[in-house]
Amino acid sequence: MSATSPRAGLSGPVLALLLVGAAVMLTPMVWTLLLSVKSNAALLGDSGAALSPPYTLDNYRAILADRLTSRWLLNSLIVSLGTTAGVLVLSSLAGFAFARLEFPFRRSLFLFVLLGLAIPEQAVILPRHQLFATLGLHNSYPGLILPGLTGSFGVFFMTQYFRAIPRDLDEAALLDGASRLRLFWSVLLPLTIPAQATLGVFTFLASWNDYWWPLISATTSDYYTLTVGLASAQMNYAQTSGLGFLMAQAVFASVPILIVYIVFQKQIVRAMAGTAVR
Amino acid sequence: MASLALKDVHKSYGDTLVLDRVSLEVAARELIAFLGPSGSGKSTLLRIIAGLETADGGEVWLEGRRIDALPPGDRGVAMVFQHYALYPHMTVRENMAFGLRNAGVPKPEIDARIAQAAHVLEIEAQLEKKPGQMSGGQRQRVAIGRAIVKQPKLFLLDEPLSNLDAALRTRTRVELAQLRQRVDAALIMVTHDQAEAMTLADRMVVLNERRIQQVGTPMDIYARPANAFVARFVGSPAMTLAPATVMPGNDRFARVRLAGGAEVMTRVPRNGLVDGAPVSLGLRPEHVSLAPAEAATLQAEVILVERLGDRTFVYACLADGLEMIAQDIGSSAVRVGDRVGLRIDGDAAHLFEADGTGRHADAAT
Ligand SMILES: Nc1ncnc2c1ncn2[C@@H]1O[C@H](COP(=O)(O)OP(=O)(O)OP(=O)(O)O)[C@@H](O)[C@H]1O
Ligand SMILES: [Mg+2]
Repeated sequence: MSATSPRAGLSGPVLALLLVGAAVMLTPMVWTLLLSVKSNAALLGDSGAALSPPYTLDNYRAILADRLTSRWLLNSLIVSLGTTAGVLVLSSLAGFAFARLEFPFRRSLFLFVLLGLAIPEQAVILPRHQLFATLGLHNSYPGLILPGLTGSFGVFFMTQYFRAIPRDLDEAALLDGASRLRLFWSVLLPLTIPAQATLGVFTFLASWNDYWWPLISATTSDYYTLTVGLASAQMNYAQTSGLGFLMAQAVFASVPILIVYIVFQKQIVRAMAGTAVR
Repeated sequence: MASLALKDVHKSYGDTLVLDRVSLEVAARELIAFLGPSGSGKSTLLRIIAGLETADGGEVWLEGRRIDALPPGDRGVAMVFQHYALYPHMTVRENMAFGLRNAGVPKPEIDARIAQAAHVLEIEAQLEKKPGQMSGGQRQRVAIGRAIVKQPKLFLLDEPLSNLDAALRTRTRVELAQLRQRVDAALIMVTHDQAEAMTLADRMVVLNERRIQQVGTPMDIYARPANAFVARFVGSPAMTLAPATVMPGNDRFARVRLAGGAEVMTRVPRNGLVDGAPVSLGLRPEHVSLAPAEAATLQAEVILVERLGDRTFVYACLADGLEMIAQDIGSSAVRVGDRVGLRIDGDAAHLFEADGTGRHADAAT
């Protein structure tokens, strides 16, 4: 019996393999963490010093003291949360429409959306840059957020999810005198919460980690996101003379992601296992 | 005045006609059962009444108001879905309140109606639960409760009992029967379980092949099926239809000769029947009995014995291959392979003309 249960009865070799895998994944993280709590000076001679005290939080203090870093953190939060909210709203509305409403060219439009899945960002980044320059959107929050809202995946994902909800519910609501808006808002939308969580987490993470577009669009440091800002702060000799500070920046940038992962573990695992749509 | 009236309702899906000029009147507080084989359009007709489907033509009237152009929520009908269609994220109370809130019913009134319905359906303890935490039978009650609180003029139920196990089904059937005494509305129930239809309905509507085949009380339909389809479809085991020809004669009633040569004197008036015309002799199992050879109309071999305890159905095969079902006492000793004599009670026999039209024993004499 226990052999068939996924938790119990891991055989020796499998366990060993998992342990090795975990070690390989964890070592760089632990190393980063250790380096980040050493002073730059102490690491200058030998980075191996990270393995022994004294440890200090000076690098983190320096980050927080820097007005720009907190500004970048705020920018990242605004851009990522804005993108996430926008994607959720647009995808839910479009998904509902594609799954439930009858309108002209519905099928062709949906195909058009699917085509969007096949177009890589690299292919459109130049025209987009020019467009945003013409519109004067560079160095602004809309400039950083808008491109993230154009992705097709969310629409596709929510359409599939809405389609999986039995139509009986719509009909029951119709008989209950619900308007279309009421049907969407009070009956169907609450049932898509698991999908919203999954889509939201992935959108947030992708937006937080995005480097290329903010690098192109934000040219004044006031509009840098954390990723761009931290990279810009690296001096040429950061690898040698500012190692502790550099590592502290890396840890600092990943904390929000860590929080998201911990809070939304369930959704992420479910999405990875491909069972997000019941 | 009729509560619900359908006039010449028809409906096609693409090129397929599924309802052909259906007309029907339902009296106030009447319980109607739509009975018919799968695909006969029962659900479609129900959904047209509810407004979930638009008819291609015809009219739907409810209590003097034409409703076929109204949105479902404004028609004064409530529906209980086969799979209940409860809102999974709402509690039982919210499920029941949803429609009332949309209709702008004041809060105290909503609470009062829910309390009343919950009391009647004995789901008071479940009001704060979500549908997912309830058994099938309980969900069924909630679905009914959600319909009741709306105080509709017409209830529509699509196979309300089909998802319940046998024991629960019988119990719910009784409860449905009691329930309808309490509500002041007509009720239409779709079913393909004829026992359900027979026990619950004031009148049954038998549908087949896009059309209403017959409308009548259960006993009427059982005793005087309008055509061969209804005769075979209603009643279990099904009526035997034996090929026969009308014998010439001057009697008031028709005498027919079975393919095997045996003759049966019926009490079906013979006027209008042509001598020598091919007909089917319709016999319910209770009108065919086992008999000693000298009293028997026919000889047959037993091929199947179905014992129900209080009675026994004997499936017997005649010499010409025709299968006939007879009814015997519960303690019947017959066994498969026995040769038995069958006695036909011609007084209760039916005749069906070549086009299926049914003719029945004259009740007046
Ligand atoms: N949306 C639809 N599109 C096309 N054909 C349909 C649609 N709904 C029903 N039909 C067809 O209409 C006919 C009647 O269907 P309906 O569901 O009313 O039958 P029913 O009597 O309720 O059968 P059942 O006992 O199986 O529920 C069937 O032949 C079915 O295939
Ligand atoms: Mg049906």
